[in-house]
Amino acid sequence: MSFFSAIRWIIWKDLLSELRSRENFSSMLFFALAVILIFSFSFSTDQEAVRELIAGVIWVAFGFTAIIGLGKSFAVELQNDCLEALQINPIPKGAIYLGKLLANVIFIFSVELLLLPLFVIFFNLDILEKLPVLLVIMIGGTLGLSALGTLFSALTVQIRAREVMLPILLLPMAVPVFIGAVEATRGLLGGAPFAFYRPWIDLLLVFDVIFIVVSFWVIDFVLDA
Amino acid sequence: MSSLVIHAEALSKSYHHFQVLRDLSFELEAGVCYALFGPNGAGKTTLLKILATVHRPSGGRLMIMGKDVVADRDAVRGRLFLVAHGSHLYDELNAVENLRFAMGLRGLAPSDRDIKLALDRVGVGAFADLKSRYFSAGMKKRLAIAKALLARPPLLLLDEAYSSLDEKGIALVNQVIREATGAGTAVFMTTHDRAKVADVARRAGVLRQGALHELPLTALTGTHELF
Repeated sequence: MSFFSAIRWIIWKDLLSELRSRENFSSMLFFALAVILIFSFSFSTDQEAVRELIAGVIWVAFGFTAIIGLGKSFAVELQNDCLEALQINPIPKGAIYLGKLLANVIFIFSVELLLLPLFVIFFNLDILEKLPVLLVIMIGGTLGLSALGTLFSALTVQIRAREVMLPILLLPMAVPVFIGAVEATRGLLGGAPFAFYRPWIDLLLVFDVIFIVVSFWVIDFVLDA
Repeated sequence: MSSLVIHAEALSKSYHHFQVLRDLSFELEAGVCYALFGPNGAGKTTLLKILATVHRPSGGRLMIMGKDVVADRDAVRGRLFLVAHGSHLYDELNAVENLRFAMGLRGLAPSDRDIKLALDRVGVGAFADLKSRYFSAGMKKRLAIAKALLARPPLLLLDEAYSSLDEKGIALVNQVIREATGAGTAVFMTTHDRAKVADVARRAGVLRQGALHELPLTALTGTHELF
């Protein structure tokens, strides 16, 4: 069994299932819309406050939206005991992790892309020239959150209070990702020179690599425990 | 080459302080169907899940086709297929997609014709494009059997093989078992229905208080209580 073939099958199955059910997509979009609307009303007359806080607002929306999606990543496998079938398939558990991770990144990033124009409209942002770097930061942040979230989704899938446990585990561990993403986004949207906020992007990418490597390393134990 | 598929030695399983299985030793050869009986909670499914590498034994040694189930799990997993109580089907995928996904993860790529033949064989060919969420329990069981047909494993594990199936479905399971054992596959199944399995089982056993007792085949056609 090819390692990469297993990854492709997992991505195909996860994305096809989500495209058909749209269960996660709807709840993620509704939640993000609520966050954007609430913050936009709070800052409607204060452009200075918007400039100061918009990076944090963006990552609050992205982060918590991602948690909704990540919580379902392994929970869907409980239906019809599919998790059992995944566990006893003759495939490396790392392939299951990477397949789930990539499906999560594709899915969450797609939702973020839909939310981006809403931030532009509701917060009067000018991001056209900054878009390529912003996309890199978004991918970096989404990758970091998904790397940890996919692992913790697998870790908590068998426990009753998984919906509560996932954010409790994920949010403290994801602090470096949030700090890197918020600081890089703030520098970019505030018009700072690239060299000024580049270390934050580097930090983000370093943590992405660390989280993916560590998760890949421990997933065999997590799925077989 | 040895035709031994399962070799269990002093196998035991405990959950916390509760011992479900104790000192189980048995062997199963290729081409033989073994039917396992036992009262509810006797540990039939636990034993089946240890054989399927879902659970680890608490003690003893279990070899499947010469490979240790604990030390060489991935190699063992490639040699068996479990038709479990849960259907292992994804609700949002249709019958064909479910088969493709399950076989894809086993490194197999059955042709469209093979998939159609397998679906027709189990009697759900007309529902090939229907999402499995709309399948009845019996149809899901048939689809799970279609997966086993495509996987062609050396060891086939069946948990409550006849549950949810109608008479034709039961005959289908027995026919699949006959063909599988004829082709050299070892079949290990749990069931409560000795009359149905009497046609295909060449060995039988009963789990009582965690211990396995071999039954004579005549017990399958008799009417006396097994446990």
